[in-house]
Amino acid sequence: MNSEPLLSYRVSAEYRGKGAVLRDVQFEIGQGEIVGLVGRSGEGKSTIASSILGLLPLKGGKCTGWIHFQGRDLLSLRDGEMRRVRGKAIGFVPQSPLAALNPNLRLRAQLDEAWRAHQEGSPDWKPLLQSVSLPDEVSFLRQYPRSLSVGLAQRFQIALAILHRPALLLADEPTSALDSVTQGEILSLFANLNRRYGIAILYISHDLASVASLCHRVAILHQGTIVECGLAEEIFARPQHEYTRRLIAAIPNVPGRSNLDAGGPSSDESRARGILAEHGV
Amino acid sequence: MKAARIGAILLLALVAAGALMPERWAAGRYDQQFRELPDAPPSAQFPLGTDAVGRDRLSRLLYGTRVSLLLAPAAALLSCLAAGLLGGIAGYAGGFTDRAIVSAADFFLSVPWLLLLLIVRACLPLDVSPAASVAITFALLGLMGWAAPARIVRAAVASLMDSEFVLMARARGYSSWRVLLRQLLPNVTPVLLAQFWIAVPAYILTETTLGMLGLGVAEPLPSWGGLLRELEGVSPLDQPYLLAPAILLAAVVGSLQLILPREDYPV
Repeated sequence: MNSEPLLSYRVSAEYRGKGAVLRDVQFEIGQGEIVGLVGRSGEGKSTIASSILGLLPLKGGKCTGWIHFQGRDLLSLRDGEMRRVRGKAIGFVPQSPLAALNPNLRLRAQLDEAWRAHQEGSPDWKPLLQSVSLPDEVSFLRQYPRSLSVGLAQRFQIALAILHRPALLLADEPTSALDSVTQGEILSLFANLNRRYGIAILYISHDLASVASLCHRVAILHQGTIVECGLAEEIFARPQHEYTRRLIAAIPNVPGRSNLDAGGPSSDESRARGILAEHGV
Repeated sequence: MKAARIGAILLLALVAAGALMPERWAAGRYDQQFRELPDAPPSAQFPLGTDAVGRDRLSRLLYGTRVSLLLAPAAALLSCLAAGLLGGIAGYAGGFTDRAIVSAADFFLSVPWLLLLLIVRACLPLDVSPAASVAITFALLGLMGWAAPARIVRAAVASLMDSEFVLMARARGYSSWRVLLRQLLPNVTPVLLAQFWIAVPAYILTETTLGMLGLGVAEPLPSWGGLLRELEGVSPLDQPYLLAPAILLAAVVGSLQLILPREDYPV
């Protein structure tokens, strides 16, 4: 890991009429690092993603502090400069992949639009679709979003997010709308993209098992502050904060799963179960 | 329902064919006077008879159909374009602009238009040329009709602005113009199209009302409303063929209602 972090974040944020949501939240993301941001719903996780993209004002919020990214403070950029960062240097994978696609545009048009937001011409879509395990056929891109399953839609969202080879990918609960098998596939896709392209990922989730399987480091967000931050293994082995202990204790345990894992193929998902099982969770 | 729709389409096609080629079916042009035969009853030469100055009623009906059926969609297009523009701006911009445009729309909706039209036409000279009268009717219909569809477009755009995919478009760094043209417009077009199809029959009826009051298309150019003026002071029981424009009007407006697109659009 380079000494200079890719993103260094220190922000307080509030929404109009709702008071503070983030209280002096601080964390860093190194080059090519996957950081998990964990907390229950309503703890301000999505606010962090919106603030990095500079979209908080659209939701009636505002933030103070600084977000250093690639040598610039994102909070002091002008609108036009911030627009060129969004989608180009920082990709975003949404929580509900189908709702985040325009219902009346074919996938091809949505792909072209995402490309033309930052570059001329049209993208080389075959290798792109292959890299997220989508069918690389013209007939696939001719579809409207309504004929996609949630899993396919999320792969397509990831394809759009990595279109411009961003240095950082923000994934805001990207697996919460998916069934558990598809969840595992999407998680290994993230791990893959990270290994192959060195894309750093901020993985926001309330699902500790998926965080354990994917992330190098974990930050626990509670009531608008980071209560604990460290290497994934350490956090799960020796949780320091009461809230972290409660989160880990809440992971459901399936009887006889260790037998299954021993015989089954070693996916990232089962690696996660392994880490958790090792530490007696 | 399907049979009714097919019937409606056939009828509209027939009407369109009649209106496009009046000279094939009728004895003369709409303003050609057969001076020796005024007020003639229906005959082989004049299926609907002739009017008080000896003009062929069938010819006038077909030309009038052409005028009415061109004027209403043109005016509907004008009002829908205005509605799309103003409603779109209101929904997109929000804030003061939004309030100003919505207030203007509310004001337009609360004006008693028929009375205002009477006043406006009373101020204009009586002998306007047919072309000018067509233009004035077109502009009046188009301008007074923008308010209701504009409010619908505004509501659609405002809800789209809050939608996930528009937020996502911003998160991907799309410029405001691209959000407007490529994200919002494809989703507002179906709404506008539906408004257009609602407006066409409504404008046909409005034009007819204006014509009957003598405020629509000016003589000698015929329109449905103008032709219906002949019914003033005459019993339709004595001369049932004078009802032809009313029957055609009812059939066309009814057919348009039947073939209106009725799908539900995802907005």
